[in-house]
Amino acid sequence: MAKGITIRMQRRSMIVLVILVFLGFPMLVCRLIALQMFQGEYLQKMASQQQLRDTKINPRRGTIFDRNMNPLAQSATVWTVVLEPSYIDSEEKRELICSGMNEILGVEKEKLIKLSKKKSCYTIIKKKVESDVKDKIVDFKTKNGITSGLRLIEDYKRYYPLKNFASTVIGFTGADSQGLAGVEASYEKVLRGEPGRILTARNALGTEMPFEYEQRLDPTPGCSLKLCIDEAIQRFMEKAVEEGIKTHKVQNRAAAIAMDVNTGEILGMAVKGDFDANEPFKIADPAIEEKIAALPEEEKAKAKNQALSQQWRNKAVSDTYYPGSVFKMVTASMGLELNVVNESSNFNCNGSIKPFEGAKPIRCHKHSGHGSQTFVKALCNSCNPAFITLGQRIGAENFFKFYKDFGFHSKTGIDLPGESGDIFFSADGSMAPTDLCVASMGQNFSITPIQMITAAAAIANGGNLVQPHVVKEVLDENGNTVKKINPAPKRRVISKETARRVTAMLHENATNGAARNAYIPGYRVAGKTGTSQKIGLSAPGQMDYISSFCGFAPADDPKIVMLVFFDTPKGDHYYGAAVAAPAFVTAMQDILPYMGIEKVYSEEELEKINTVVPELIGKSVGEAKNTAASLSLRVVVVGNGDKVISQIPDPSSHIPKDGKIILHTDSSSSSSIKVPKLVGLTPAEVNKIASQLGLNINFSGIKLEEQGVASTAQSIPEGTEVPMGTVVTVNFIHHDSTD
Amino acid sequence: MKARRMKRTLAKSPEAELSVEKTAHSKKKNKFRIFSKMKVMSLRSGMDIPFLFLVLTILVVGVIMMFSASYPYAFYHNHDSFFFIKRQLIFAILGVVSMIMVSNIDYTSLHKLTVPLLGTSFVLLILVLFMPAMNGVHRWIQLGTASFQASEITKFAIILSFSHFISLNLHRMHTFRYGILPYLLILAPTIVLLALEPHISCSVIVILLAAGMLFIGGVKLKWFGMVIGAIASALIYLVLFTDKLTYANNRIAGWLDPFGSSSGVDTWQTRQGLYAIGSGGILGLGLGNSRQKYLYIPEPQNDFIFSVVCEELGFVGAVLILLLFALLVWRGMLIAIRAKDKFGMLLGIGLTAQVGLQVILNIAVVTNTIPNTGISLPFFSYGGTSLMMLLAQMGVILSISRSSRMEKS
Repeated sequence: MAKGITIRMQRRSMIVLVILVFLGFPMLVCRLIALQMFQGEYLQKMASQQQLRDTKINPRRGTIFDRNMNPLAQSATVWTVVLEPSYIDSEEKRELICSGMNEILGVEKEKLIKLSKKKSCYTIIKKKVESDVKDKIVDFKTKNGITSGLRLIEDYKRYYPLKNFASTVIGFTGADSQGLAGVEASYEKVLRGEPGRILTARNALGTEMPFEYEQRLDPTPGCSLKLCIDEAIQRFMEKAVEEGIKTHKVQNRAAAIAMDVNTGEILGMAVKGDFDANEPFKIADPAIEEKIAALPEEEKAKAKNQALSQQWRNKAVSDTYYPGSVFKMVTASMGLELNVVNESSNFNCNGSIKPFEGAKPIRCHKHSGHGSQTFVKALCNSCNPAFITLGQRIGAENFFKFYKDFGFHSKTGIDLPGESGDIFFSADGSMAPTDLCVASMGQNFSITPIQMITAAAAIANGGNLVQPHVVKEVLDENGNTVKKINPAPKRRVISKETARRVTAMLHENATNGAARNAYIPGYRVAGKTGTSQKIGLSAPGQMDYISSFCGFAPADDPKIVMLVFFDTPKGDHYYGAAVAAPAFVTAMQDILPYMGIEKVYSEEELEKINTVVPELIGKSVGEAKNTAASLSLRVVVVGNGDKVISQIPDPSSHIPKDGKIILHTDSSSSSSIKVPKLVGLTPAEVNKIASQLGLNINFSGIKLEEQGVASTAQSIPEGTEVPMGTVVTVNFIHHDSTD
Repeated sequence: MKARRMKRTLAKSPEAELSVEKTAHSKKKNKFRIFSKMKVMSLRSGMDIPFLFLVLTILVVGVIMMFSASYPYAFYHNHDSFFFIKRQLIFAILGVVSMIMVSNIDYTSLHKLTVPLLGTSFVLLILVLFMPAMNGVHRWIQLGTASFQASEITKFAIILSFSHFISLNLHRMHTFRYGILPYLLILAPTIVLLALEPHISCSVIVILLAAGMLFIGGVKLKWFGMVIGAIASALIYLVLFTDKLTYANNRIAGWLDPFGSSSGVDTWQTRQGLYAIGSGGILGLGLGNSRQKYLYIPEPQNDFIFSVVCEELGFVGAVLILLLFALLVWRGMLIAIRAKDKFGMLLGIGLTAQVGLQVILNIAVVTNTIPNTGISLPFFSYGGTSLMMLLAQMGVILSISRSSRMEKS
């Protein structure tokens, strides 16, 4: 032990050593175990949160096609312009970028400068920039050598090439390409696709680390949809509904639904009072926009929201209404199915009925009464007392059972958003005696148009309640079918026989009954009109009406059923027969030939039917005359040639028997005629004027000899100059129909 | 006890000499020739190879980790990723050279340096108070382009002077006049000056070192009891009856709840350090793969470098580095205890304990085991002059080891 290192010194040194090595270091190891093993996951998560930036890349949204693959909604590439303030490291660069973007995008410069000073790595300055503008920005960047601080990110914009077309059914998308209405909303998950991501590690300043961390996950594009809707059918329907709205001054929009009776496929769904799906947030009706503009400032926003939700609302599935007399087809089905009535059962109507002792009498719409009538006649007359009597025979319990069976007491489950349910008298189906009476004629309970047409389809297709649906197939991005939507019928509601018998009655109704305005020669329409009251919105205490018609064709093998529905007509007429049935005809006379349904004429019809103009060009005058005569058509020859070089009307147009064909045999032209006013006349009057002038008339909507009809429209406007022999189609409706 | 130790030492010596002969004659063991040569210089004059090896290993690991930790900071702040490593490398090389040089100087000549060094320490501590403040504290003395902390000199001055006085007055250490008073006269002004900078962490280290050396020197335990009691009552008074410690209080609040958002407490550094440590897990993200060093941890090359080490090398790497430090302390202490005289022993223990204390306190701060205070990690943290001084001090230990009675390979 040299130079006096004492044992005590050594002992105390050992104590110091032990404290340092055996206390200090193990303590640190314990701390590391706690932090790295037990709290590691939590700390790592917190660290990742601050280190990683997650940029979403939007997927391409699926296309929506009609059933013939015509695109109705498409996505096109657009660009989001983004500032990266952390990369803007000099005032010079800030100035350059901000003034450049101000010029190209038209965004205020002060706003841009403010955004560029934000403490973030990513601020959006403009969304949905089109490709041409994007090219300008790319040019600007290369010209000025800007590599950071300004960025373009791919996005998609939704286009609806047909604008207003079926917009309430197709719907529209919001700012983040999310479906907000219609099929866009109900098939959001299918259409949307999976967004991709760019995962970038960033440092504390928010700029990306200059090193290796960037991971890109590509987005998965959404699936496309093939709708059941047929563009052509939809177009015919929209045209008819629009015309109806205009003619009858309809106040609260209108809708029409067309459905394949056997599959439940919605072939068309027209809701008018609609909007351009490219600009869903613009109020489409200029009249309403003006009204809102006139409101005081504080009420504007509310009024605008109301107007927007109104124009987006799909009336066909979201509105409830009293079905009115259209429902009588269901009541009739119940009666026949329960065997409490048959076609020849007799009903007496003296203008009103007192359904039971002590009840208030219920009036028929024909105040003088329909007198004694068979059940078929009663349906054709839409006689209220007859159906009240029938309702009492059916009884409340059976009524509610069939009501449920026909699908009125539950939503149809159509693949569209915002479907409403019914409002029945009570939850358990119990009904007061008066309730049963009015319910039999379709009053005082509310259903949706889609429920009504589904029930009508059950009658048309032989008794099966089908599942209405709008989407036919789901397609992948390459157009291959991923999924076919073919829902099975839900249940049998009535027997095939009952369905057949009701159809026959409805066919009679649309041929000779109250619904004869829906008559389309050759196409065997069956249907029922309806006029239902509703509490007036236009003025307090006033009753408003909903005019509807539901019919299907052809009656012997129904293919398509259509419901037309006008809310609050304020024109000369409000009865379904006068307002809705003509619109049904307007649409159906185009749709049925389009669907390739063959015309079949009864003997009676054949007698009066228009004749198809034969091809006479190239024939000798004699030959032509003979051919025309064989078809009971008259001929007027113009010119001195011996061969026909042109003819009016053109081959295969329709003219009545007795019509004139003008044949030209040389180039001399025949004198032209000014089309006269042909509206507001009887068929006989129209015929007389036409033959005097040398025009051919195509009578539409009636049988020629009928009484009580008047013309309502002509296909060529008054005053137009036309060559002799031109065919003018004139529409007629019955004015004595009251339901 | 004494006899047994003597016997062991005697018993070891021939054995050691035998092995030297063996090595010298063996062609197979050529690779040990350098070590052998050192040994040939005789047991007494050879320096301790394990200690040298530990110092160099820790230095290499430290410099590599400093490079990794400073890389992004240097990239963003100095626009040169190699800014720090270039300087650190130069000083590391100079440091190793000075370590070898110092190890060849007889440490007993340091006796003569005691008073001048102590004087320098006080001069610098006063001078530094007139230096421009950095981050609100006066710690740095600028010398041309280089700068150093005055307290680095102070720590060495305290260790040296205490070793000097204790070794001279060992037999009178139990008295107040020789055992307490001189040290109090050195320590008290030093602490006051450090507190004025302010540099609390250094004061703590200085006090702990001084206490440790006095303890080994044989000061009566009752003095320790009295001092501890005085400090405790002063602290209680300050906490309960004054608001002088709000600064410290905030630190303690931040220590207890580093993820909380209590106002007036900046726990950013602690929090980011903990994120880094936690992210490392068991095996770490791999060398160079720390994410937290990307400007999240402020100055990751300085006090919080160990959190980057934990993130990149994981628990396993961190524990291995702790083990190296523990071995260094162990070996340093062993050298000191076997030193040829009291002065060498006290000097060795002081210098070794300084490294050990700094490592423990630094890592305790980084792991939020104690409240945050600025202590750098020896051999790891950036700082050229302090690294060079540290290596020179390791040279002193090596010098002590040359005359230390122990196996040195």
